[in-house]
Amino acid sequence: MNTKASTVRQPSPWVLPAVLTLVLISFLAAVFLGIVDIPARDVLSALTGSGSPEARSIILDIRLPRIVTGILAGVQFALAGLLLQTITRNPLADPSLMGVSQGATLTVTMFLLFTVYLANPDSHSVNELPIAWLPPAGMVGGMIAGGIIYLLAFRLDLSPIRITLCGIAVGAVMHALAIGLIAGWGSARIEIILEWMSGSFYARTWDHALFLLPFTVVGFAMLPLIYRPLVLLRFDAAVARSFGLSYRRQFSLVLLLSCALAASAVGAVGPIVFVGLIVPHLARFLAGRHFPLVLPLTIVLGAVIVTLGDLIGRLAGGAEEIPIGVVTAVTGVPVLLALLRKIP
Amino acid sequence: MPLSCSQLSVNYGRRRALHGFFLAMEKGEIRALIGPNGSGKSTALQALAGLIKPSEGRADIEGVAVASMSRKAIAKKLAFLPQQPAAPDEMTIAQLVRQGRFPHVGLFRSYDRRDEEAIEWALESTGLTGFADRTLRELSGGERQRAWISAALAQEAGILLLDEPTSFLDIGYQVEVLDLVHRLSRERGVTIIMAIHDINQAIAVSDRISLLEKGELRFDGEPKALAESGLIEKTFRVRGRFVEVAPDKPPHFDVELTKLPQSKS
Repeated sequence: MNTKASTVRQPSPWVLPAVLTLVLISFLAAVFLGIVDIPARDVLSALTGSGSPEARSIILDIRLPRIVTGILAGVQFALAGLLLQTITRNPLADPSLMGVSQGATLTVTMFLLFTVYLANPDSHSVNELPIAWLPPAGMVGGMIAGGIIYLLAFRLDLSPIRITLCGIAVGAVMHALAIGLIAGWGSARIEIILEWMSGSFYARTWDHALFLLPFTVVGFAMLPLIYRPLVLLRFDAAVARSFGLSYRRQFSLVLLLSCALAASAVGAVGPIVFVGLIVPHLARFLAGRHFPLVLPLTIVLGAVIVTLGDLIGRLAGGAEEIPIGVVTAVTGVPVLLALLRKIP
Repeated sequence: MPLSCSQLSVNYGRRRALHGFFLAMEKGEIRALIGPNGSGKSTALQALAGLIKPSEGRADIEGVAVASMSRKAIAKKLAFLPQQPAAPDEMTIAQLVRQGRFPHVGLFRSYDRRDEEAIEWALESTGLTGFADRTLRELSGGERQRAWISAALAQEAGILLLDEPTSFLDIGYQVEVLDLVHRLSRERGVTIIMAIHDINQAIAVSDRISLLEKGELRFDGEPKALAESGLIEKTFRVRGRFVEVAPDKPPHFDVELTKLPQSKS
């Protein structure tokens, strides 16, 4: 066998085009299908700016921003999951396991408590909720959790298993605090917390998409910078450093990036369970030995799965739609089990 | 001088793992680091590679303090192969060996002909050319060890640090690895220091030997002088004698398979 052919890897020719086609199909399906039946012709004219005001409003103000927000969030969750799984060398790592989701839940709960409850102690009145502020509030919490884990990680010399345990511990504490607050608070407004906690794209606007966009862009801009270190970070620290990697610097960079991606996404759409966990596994499974494909596949599949999951939730639930977080969790479990069977 | 250190001491918490270790290596020299388990061999190698911070003393690569160099700069001059390194199972040999080029290509530069040649040479030297596409999971212990050596070779560093490179290999691969070490030193002028358990292999292949006991350097010199010193029996608490195999060859240590009486109590 000649080494040229074996060291210069040819990516599998069909995987990427197939998955990109899937993106297009799922995107179009999500735009054209919905609980309000709009004929395809009206959808097209709404997209080009003409058509009836109702169709335009549904397509441009409800469906499109929701889909775009979902795609951005899905890509961010999937990327964050891949990065966390890589640096912790733990196949179970995802934003929920690492405490980022719980941190966000805690600050969103606190935020609602302070702004709504303290300003208006009558717990049964439904007054105007500061929903627009939930994304930044959640993001701050996620970043705080990430920051704590980062500091602990440095004190413990970045040992992967310890970092994972720190993440679980920090997450457990923040989750307990959030639940405690909710239980003690007990009011009609719990509903908004519960809806946020289940992970939902309901009523997501262009504002949410615009909130996420800078994080997605920065995340993508960083990818070339961390592409090679990501391979080396899968080795023991001693090995990676022997190969010339500044382990601490690269580890910190990847950890902070994954926390920023996950925290902003959690803030915007709530903790969508399993996307960060499953998508990297699915990508690895499809990529097989074609190592360089894992990263692009993770990004693309993150978008596809979230778009399709939300579409299923919208169509299956009827007027009371099923939150995306529930859909991904329910459909994610069989996928995870199937993948586990393939891993020896 | 490619590699040297002086007064090198390392503490793990309150335990002193290495104390006042010194070393001066010539270009192309093969040095064996021997000593009982826990005598500080791995610690010495890691301190030389700049992977652990010594509490005292310094290590130098070509006269420059290792502590002052970046990981990338160190990796261009020195390749270190730890004991039983772990890697993702689904990685192929070729992918592993490619990582050895990281100090040369950095974050962005694409692999050019020079890099591919180095990878090819590294695979060839370890007899892995035909296996390059296999994943690490599919390999035997010996093949995996050779894959790691191959990755270290791809770094094309002038100094090679090996931590027990022959452990877990059958006798055939042990000889192959030692043969490779010898060739690298004589044909390419690579300076090699390795921790090794087999005293006869150490004596046979190395130009000089450092003997460690409880973190202290007990002996630094040529194999012949070590044989005459009687330190092997004392340090390892065994009885045996050095037998001359051939007049121009270093002696062979023949160990008795019963321990000295006082070590039994």
